[in-house]
Amino acid sequence: MSLVDSMSMAKPNLESREKILSKLRGRDPVNCFQCMKCTSGCTALKLLELKPHEIEKLVNLGLVDELASSDIIWTCVTCLKCVQRCPQKASPYHVIMALRNLAVEREAKVPEAYMKAVSQILETGLAEAYQKITTRKMETCDRESLKLPKISGPKEGFQAAFLKALEERQA
Amino acid sequence: MKVAVFWGCRILASQCAYEMSVREVLPKFDGELVDLCEALCCGDPVKSVNDFAANYLSARVLALANLTGAKDLLVPCNRCHFAVSEAKGLIEKDERARAKIVGLLKEEGLQYNPDTRIWHVIDFLHDLIGLDRVKKAVVKPLKGIKLATHYGCQILRYGDLGRVDDAENPRKLDELVGVLGAESVDYAERLDCCGSALTYSHVDSALSLAGSKLKAVQNSGVDGLIVSCPDCGIMFDAKQKDAAVTVGAKLSLPVVYYTQLLGLALSIEQGKLGLNLNQSSVDQLLAKIPA
Repeated sequence: MSLVDSMSMAKPNLESREKILSKLRGRDPVNCFQCMKCTSGCTALKLLELKPHEIEKLVNLGLVDELASSDIIWTCVTCLKCVQRCPQKASPYHVIMALRNLAVEREAKVPEAYMKAVSQILETGLAEAYQKITTRKMETCDRESLKLPKISGPKEGFQAAFLKALEERQA
Repeated sequence: MKVAVFWGCRILASQCAYEMSVREVLPKFDGELVDLCEALCCGDPVKSVNDFAANYLSARVLALANLTGAKDLLVPCNRCHFAVSEAKGLIEKDERARAKIVGLLKEEGLQYNPDTRIWHVIDFLHDLIGLDRVKKAVVKPLKGIKLATHYGCQILRYGDLGRVDDAENPRKLDELVGVLGAESVDYAERLDCCGSALTYSHVDSALSLAGSKLKAVQNSGVDGLIVSCPDCGIMFDAKQKDAAVTVGAKLSLPVVYYTQLLGLALSIEQGKLGLNLNQSSVDQLLAKIPA
């Protein structure tokens, strides 16, 4: 349990735990029996020491606040191997996503790129801006010169609807 | 056959080679491609921020597909394919979520259609069009060429969602390479991730993942790597030089989209397949293709 100092006074927060569970739609961490299949295949373990089975355990213990403010939840590559391989359908990926959502809700430190993607979507409908296209020989081209059709952005009502969805948070 | 296409962000923003080759190749198999009336994010990057808003975006994609009147929706990006499939599963299973999402769409005059079928390029060609038809269409067999395939993560997992191929031992892309006359080579790292999602927060680690895989593929002695996802395409092709620096390797591995390879076997002009847009050393591979 390296994410939490066991000698500290960290107290479980059952309310936060409930918040995470409500997002998991039955993929309950309580079913996790620490077989570590998730961690043994975790892409982010190799480089960033993400240990999904520890995340499951800490959520079970109610140490959710510590997780939500930790950098570790942002190291998941979303390769989904843990979801696939969990024999208990506990799905660390979905737990991590729920923890990220909670971190955003609490305005904890969130990698800027995610928030940038959201504002970009609000503005243009797309999470990414068009980039300059260059050939291998460094000639510049664009959609028109490549004979690709023009792309139109979202209609007027979209922005309001997306803002509303962002406010909803939970379904 | 009318097929709606949802391109997502990455293909439109930078992976024109994928878009061009899909647009060239599928009509050869009677696929009449219809773009959605709006370009939109699939919701995937929003999953980390706000799950509900992400599912709303994915559902909106399905509602836009419904407007085209086509029953089949082609989603050539793995990440978009996952987001849209997961939202579809949620709307089907969770009544409360369905009511909220359908309600929001209604405010915009949009309608969710549960009958829309979601396809990726791989299962569209392999299952719907069929290997036989693809094989029969080949006019320039790619004899003597050895290739490695990379499926990417999100079209394989997780199985409960109904994915494009088997999660642990996918074969469809290898078979699709095989019917073109080329040989697909097995290698230990074939299920390894390209690292793309980490570019949001840990760029060096992302490049390290891509570089390690590229190194392994190059060492297996193949003539190129076949991808079919814009995220993987960016990591292995556009960022190959950066990945090489990160892992301290000399990399010169041609990376092409499957639809580009198929286009070559169908004898479609290279320019039309966007083969001048790949940033990796594809000329190496093109030189080996029999005239």
